[in-house]
Amino acid sequence: MMWKEKYKIGVELIDRQHEELFRRVSDFIGTVRSEVPWEEKLSKIKETLEFMKDYVITHFRDEEEYQAKINYPGLEKHKQIHDDFKAEVAEFVQLFEETGFDEDLVQRFSGKLLAWLINHVAGIDQKIGEFAKKQEVPHHES
Amino acid sequence: MKAEYINSIYQAAQDVFKIMLDVGTQKDDVITHEVTDDGANITIKLQGDLSGTILFSFPKETALEVVKIMSGMEMDKLDSFIISALSEVVNIICGNAATNLQKYNKHVDITPPEVLEDPAPKAADNCELLPLKTDIGAVKLNIKLDENDK
Repeated sequence: MMWKEKYKIGVELIDRQHEELFRRVSDFIGTVRSEVPWEEKLSKIKETLEFMKDYVITHFRDEEEYQAKINYPGLEKHKQIHDDFKAEVAEFVQLFEETGFDEDLVQRFSGKLLAWLINHVAGIDQKIGEFAKKQEVPHHES
Repeated sequence: MKAEYINSIYQAAQDVFKIMLDVGTQKDDVITHEVTDDGANITIKLQGDLSGTILFSFPKETALEVVKIMSGMEMDKLDSFIISALSEVVNIICGNAATNLQKYNKHVDITPPEVLEDPAPKAADNCELLPLKTDIGAVKLNIKLDENDK
C-alpha cells in the first residue's frame, strides 16, 4: 500500500495522520498476508488493531474539527461516513473476540480496510482540500 | 433502461478506477462473456426509485491486478482477502453511482455486496451488459434496473 504525494490535501495535521494511517495499515496487511503461521503473528495483529482503533478515532475527530472550523458544507455527511466506518470496525472487533480471531474473518476485514482507506483518502477527503483552497483558508496548521 | 442510468454507473466505475487505482477505463465493444467462471462475481442490489441488481464480473487476472495495485503486494490466488477488497471497490462504485443518479432525481439505496459462490452464475434475464476495458483487463457489468412509480 503506497502513500502518494497527490493524496495530500494541503492541511499539515491531516496529511501527517493520513500518511501514518497508510503506513500502519500497510504494516498490518503485510503481517496478515505473511507466510508466518497464524498463531505466531496473532499478537502483532492484536497489537496493531488496538493502536489503529485509537488512532482512527483521534484522526476522525481532528478531521471533523478542521471541517467545522472552515465551515465545510459536507461535514454532516462526512461525519456519517466516519460513524458508519467506526460501527463496522466495532462489529468486526466483536466478531474477532467471539471467534478467537478467526483467520478468514481477519483476512476479510483487511481487504475491506485496504479499499476503504484508499477511497476515503484519495477520493472523499480530497474534497475537503478543494473546498479549503477555494475559501483560501490558511492550511499550515499543526 | 434509460441511457443516463447506465452512464451514471459507467461514470462511477470510471472515476473509482481512476481515483483508487490510477487505471483508465473505457466501454468495450467486444462482448466475450457475461460472467466469469474463473474470477469473482459480486452483486449489489438497488432499492428505491429504481430497483434491481448490478453484477460485477471480474476475470481472475483483473481481480488480482486490482488488489495488487491497491496493496502493492503480489497476489496469486483469489482468497477471502482479495474478494473482500474487491467487494468494497464494488460497494464504492455503486455508492458513487447512487450519488450520480440523484442528478436525474432518482434516489436509491444499495445493499451490501454479495459474492456469488457459484463458479458460473447466470446473469439476470433482460439485463443490460456494460463491458468495460481497463488498463489492467476486462470487467463486465450486468445491470438490471426497473423504475418504480413514485
